[in-house]
Amino acid sequence: MCKNLAELGKGESGEVIGFDSGHMASRRFQSMGIRPGKIISRVSSQLMGGPVTVSVDGRQTAMGRGMAAKVKVKVLNQ
Amino acid sequence: MRILLMGSPNVGKSAIFSRLTGTHVVASNYPGTTVEFTRGHLKMGEETAELIDVPGAYTLEPTNRAEEVAVEMVDEGDVIVNVVDATNLERNLYLTLQLLQTGKPMVVALNMWDEALEHGINIDAEDLEKHLGVPVIPTCAISGEGVKSLTDRLEEADQGDLKVVSEDIWQRIGEIIEDVQHIEYRHPTFRQVLSHATVHPLIGPFIAMLVLFLSFFFVIHTGEWLIGNVMEPAFELAWEPVTVWISAALGGEGFIHGVLIGDLIEGEIDMENSFGLLTTGLFIPIAVILPFIFCFYFILSLLEDIGYLPRLGVLIDTLMHRMGLHGLSIVPMMLGLGCNVPGAMAGRILETRKERFIALTLVSICVPCMAQIAMVAGLLGDAGITGLAVVFMTLLILWVALGVSMKYFLKGETPEILVDIPPYRLPYWKSLVKKVYMRMKGFVREALPYVLLGVFLVQLLYTLGIIALLDRAFTPVVQTLFGLPGTAVGPLIVGFLRKDVAVGMLAPLGLNTRQLIVASVILVIYFPCAATFVVLFKELGIRDLLKASGVMIVVVTVVGTGLNALLRIAGL
Ligand SMILES: Nc1nc2c(ncn2[C@@H]2O[C@H](COP(=O)(O)OP(=O)(O)O)[C@@H](O)[C@H]2O)c(=O)[nH]1
Repeated sequence: MCKNLAELGKGESGEVIGFDSGHMASRRFQSMGIRPGKIISRVSSQLMGGPVTVSVDGRQTAMGRGMAAKVKVKVLNQ
Repeated sequence: MRILLMGSPNVGKSAIFSRLTGTHVVASNYPGTTVEFTRGHLKMGEETAELIDVPGAYTLEPTNRAEEVAVEMVDEGDVIVNVVDATNLERNLYLTLQLLQTGKPMVVALNMWDEALEHGINIDAEDLEKHLGVPVIPTCAISGEGVKSLTDRLEEADQGDLKVVSEDIWQRIGEIIEDVQHIEYRHPTFRQVLSHATVHPLIGPFIAMLVLFLSFFFVIHTGEWLIGNVMEPAFELAWEPVTVWISAALGGEGFIHGVLIGDLIEGEIDMENSFGLLTTGLFIPIAVILPFIFCFYFILSLLEDIGYLPRLGVLIDTLMHRMGLHGLSIVPMMLGLGCNVPGAMAGRILETRKERFIALTLVSICVPCMAQIAMVAGLLGDAGITGLAVVFMTLLILWVALGVSMKYFLKGETPEILVDIPPYRLPYWKSLVKKVYMRMKGFVREALPYVLLGVFLVQLLYTLGIIALLDRAFTPVVQTLFGLPGTAVGPLIVGFLRKDVAVGMLAPLGLNTRQLIVASVILVIYFPCAATFVVLFKELGIRDLLKASGVMIVVVTVVGTGLNALLRIAGL
């Protein structure tokens, strides 16, 4: 099943399959370690539409919801 | 020879820099920008080389001013030392591979080696060296392991033979990682559990409040201790005799005596109340304000090195977005609490012009610096804690309200936050000391001269009768709108140049609590000091500075009037 990162449930993880964003933004994602093929999981998210914290390769990154919505992931079954 | 220290943020670059250089380091602005970088010297056998700590960058495709500078600086170096975080190798190699394409001789410091081992991350450094074609040296900046071989192998710096086009970089990195890195699973450590708790949407804010409360508790108590036990005795011992001598030499009166020494109180010099350039003018900023600034920047730099600030940025992001900013803008705001000058300078981490304008305007109008806080405390001390609470609550509400309205009126984008949350780490004391020292220097070098100039100007304006003139012009406004007596106008004007004198002049006027509160808020809101003015000009340019000044005048009038009315209704 495909979702975007903002829709990923807490504790759920998925494989990054691509970005719904321009060239610049995808490059920034990649430089933060978020790139196709990576397993990503959601650590927490702030209330009222605040940023989500995700974990890739054991390293945490926080991003706004709008940004998270641009990262497409394939949900992995536990 | 010029060596560039380059790496992504939080890889331990500053720690390596402190290890490699001696005590003599200088910070300077990159020409034409306010981006600051530090340089020092490094002994290589007989030679000494210049070592430059380049601002952190994730890629050579810049997304903000600091990164632009980093890219431009590449051309100016002879050798690059690329610092890489071994616990985060894959991500860091992106910059490494880009740097290899520049053709500059390079070595790689595989830093955080200790932490990588602890986390079960095994990296074959020799193998990595073969892949990259440049020396790779595992280091631990905190203990100093590997730093010696880093310097020894600097002369082996090489251009490498890894050539790759940018589309293929990630694929290439994948191959390298596959080959050199093996990860064993380890249970989450206490630090990782703590890391989760501090960004937890419910627990996080509580921890944040606790951290901030403890920080201020520390700043206030340690600051007071330093003033009473170090600065005051030092002044009494070393400086007072000099002023007594000067005072006697000037005959104890006259214009020059008035400017330099001020008034004698019961025939003696009083450092706190004489108000001369060499007495109160030096005593207040150095003996009273500086200790607080020191304690404040100590705590803030500690929180930064531990890795807490990005987490605070994440927690406050939602609120900041309502104000047209994102979470990381909390950093300039916090720095501004020490001295507005470094606060305004830190605005350069923000990406768009709109953000910079909002952040800098908020710092200069709503964020009280240590000098202003001391001033307000001095004024309201007798009125008790309620008065102080009202002043700071007003400023806080104003901060949010002004941010929200600027977001509404200004055009432009506010990008969303995207920030790496580094693991919690022990600070390296030497780079901590250096950081605090640099920030203090910002105050001493950028702000103090203007403070002293202000002292001089005030004296001049008085003697020329200009203050009296302004006094008459502003009295109606101040009396009817702000509910302050006409006699308060002079001190309020003087307050722009000299906070200490403003307090000294307002104190004897016998203002009631309401008037004291209004006067304090006004003193904080209108532009903090001449030094901040200059920095705002450099950062924003003349047009935006005028805009910010316009905002300030409107805000002073509205808030002064509104607060006065509200407090009257509340029966004060
Ligand atoms: N465990 C460990 N911590 C380190 C090492 N090098 C630096 N640190 C810590 O990592 C944090 C970030 O380092 P800093 O030099 O400020 O990073 P910069 O942003 O790259 O300049 C600080 O708390 C340092 O004390 C290292 O080799 N091992």
